[in-house]
Amino acid sequence: MTPPAQTAPVLRVEGLGKEYRLYASPRSRLKALLTGRAAHRSHWALQDVSFTLRRGQCLGVIGNNGAGKSSLLKMLAGTMHSSTGLLERQGRVTAILELGAGFHPDFTGRDNLYFGGSLIGIDAAAMRSLEAEIIAFSELGEAIDRPVKTYSSGMVVRLAFALVTAVEPDLLIIDEALAVGDQHFQKKCVERIEQFRRNGCTILFCSHSLYHVRQLCDAALWLDKGVQRAFGDTEDVLAAYEAFVRSQDGEPDVPAVASPSPSTQASPPPGQASIVSAQVAHLAQVDDSTVPVLQSPDLELTVTVQAPPGECPCIGMMLEQAHGVGVTSTSTQKAGVTPRHLGDGRWQARLRFPALPLHTGEYVISVYLFDSHGLVVYEQWMRCVHFRHVFAQSVPGLVRLPHVWD
Amino acid sequence: MPALARELRSLLSSRRLLWVMAQREMAARYAGTAAGMLWAYAQPLLTAAAYYLVFDIVFAMRLGEHAPTRAVGIYLIAGMLPWMAFCEALSRGMSSLLDAGGVLQKNALPPVLFVARSVLASTVIHAPLLLGLALLYGPQHHFQPALATLLPLLALQLALCLVWGYALAILAAALRDTVQLVGFALSVGVFLSPVLFPMAMFPQDWRWVLWLNPMTPWVASYQTVLLQGAWPLVQNWAAALVWIALGAILLEVLLRRSRDELVDWL
Repeated sequence: MTPPAQTAPVLRVEGLGKEYRLYASPRSRLKALLTGRAAHRSHWALQDVSFTLRRGQCLGVIGNNGAGKSSLLKMLAGTMHSSTGLLERQGRVTAILELGAGFHPDFTGRDNLYFGGSLIGIDAAAMRSLEAEIIAFSELGEAIDRPVKTYSSGMVVRLAFALVTAVEPDLLIIDEALAVGDQHFQKKCVERIEQFRRNGCTILFCSHSLYHVRQLCDAALWLDKGVQRAFGDTEDVLAAYEAFVRSQDGEPDVPAVASPSPSTQASPPPGQASIVSAQVAHLAQVDDSTVPVLQSPDLELTVTVQAPPGECPCIGMMLEQAHGVGVTSTSTQKAGVTPRHLGDGRWQARLRFPALPLHTGEYVISVYLFDSHGLVVYEQWMRCVHFRHVFAQSVPGLVRLPHVWD
Repeated sequence: MPALARELRSLLSSRRLLWVMAQREMAARYAGTAAGMLWAYAQPLLTAAAYYLVFDIVFAMRLGEHAPTRAVGIYLIAGMLPWMAFCEALSRGMSSLLDAGGVLQKNALPPVLFVARSVLASTVIHAPLLLGLALLYGPQHHFQPALATLLPLLALQLALCLVWGYALAILAAALRDTVQLVGFALSVGVFLSPVLFPMAMFPQDWRWVLWLNPMTPWVASYQTVLLQGAWPLVQNWAAALVWIALGAILLEVLLRRSRDELVDWL
């Protein structure tokens, strides 16, 4: 395949900006419309954004809420006019902004398929040849001839996703759409997007999941309050963003921090992928503190999960300071390890950090259950195990790195 | 008028999609009902039947000497059906953008398509009724060739509804009260037109008020053609073109001023 840098740009954005004109009231908006006199305050949702994407590249757009990610995606998709700048797109553009918008509840799924297809440039003749594949992908079966109002929300999303991705685009724009439908369908969606990517489709997606941006993207764009803070190699941009998030020091919108989850789950729903338990060995309550103390020099974590039938899952974990930064993360897939099959769809992985090289402090562990490719997050237990680690010869710092004095 | 020309080009390049959308709109209006599309014709047909029965059969009311026909019911029907077609096309065109806000914000489609879809769907429903009147009224004057002007009159009415419907849709997006104001104006407007009584019966000093109603030249022309089999007066053609031109100028101004933010208002 030709390296991305040598292929023609699929998307070129230069100095793109979006100004929202804020009027004191709808009446002043009407007055401005009729008289042509400016009577508004300006709010720039996006200013001076520039980047180029070539065929086969995957760009992750990151940033806190209100950073201008959705405005950017809408302008790239063509649903919103830019106020300044240049935007050039080549080839077929498909945007997954809100699945199912435009479906009429009184019409059947098939009727909606044909009409929805015409809105995205698939005429009736083309739809006739695509229809069977779309219905098969959406797994609607005979329900395709029932009114959409009888569908569950998951069925609507399945039909809409199958429709918009029926024709492979040159540029695919996705707004947080990896979390659609149930686990099984999420996996299918991700696999289809991955297939597009392998075929050379350029992908641009906006996500709060830095994990997915890391896994999927070869470039990242960080927006902050409408301004482009960084664009370039994924790791460089994510490192800068993560440092920024840490520096916000407790401000809301820190990614991937949720309330503690239980470290065991009594009975996972049958057939559904879920984390069953996450336990750290050798924890004990030593004083009045609610945080148990690790009694062993080793940190030993055992995670048991329930996976979909026939699938060997990927189990991941992250170790963080309880009130600070991430220390490390790993997964069975990254390490090239297969979890142990316990039978009946259950899998278990045991992870050990020998002589845990951390100084005294409070730490938390989050565990993740992924599909076999490590892309679909079936379930995540954020900060589910909280413990204190005591190292007698602690010195200032976080970790004890192997080192040599000359 | 560059903005208007751009919208027209966009409409022309998407004409196949426009037709699909208009068909869908017609089906969607009566989706879930047993009679379906028949309901679109039921109201105007029942209204016409009621006028005929009440005014011409039961009360046998007659208009004065200067009226184009003596029977009140026959006279009312010739003006009321075009007026109903105008009201529906204009109202639906006006609310089309507000109704399509969710779709427009998620799909890269030109807003003009949604206005044109609503106006076209209403016209397609009412046009057969208006042309059907030619069959009913034709025998009175032995199907005079002037009946052929019904087609250009309908085409001009479509243009009128399109430009004014789009202009009002933009105004409604800026200020929702527009919908209420126009709804009131349409309910009053029938009295400021030759729909209910011939223009000759209107006081001479106040007759100019009738020309403030954009449908006056059309209603007068339909009545001339249907009731007398005569050619519409030149002044009516001119007034019709003036109303379309005024709508086009207003639309051009509104399009220029709202282009970048219209979808944001929905």
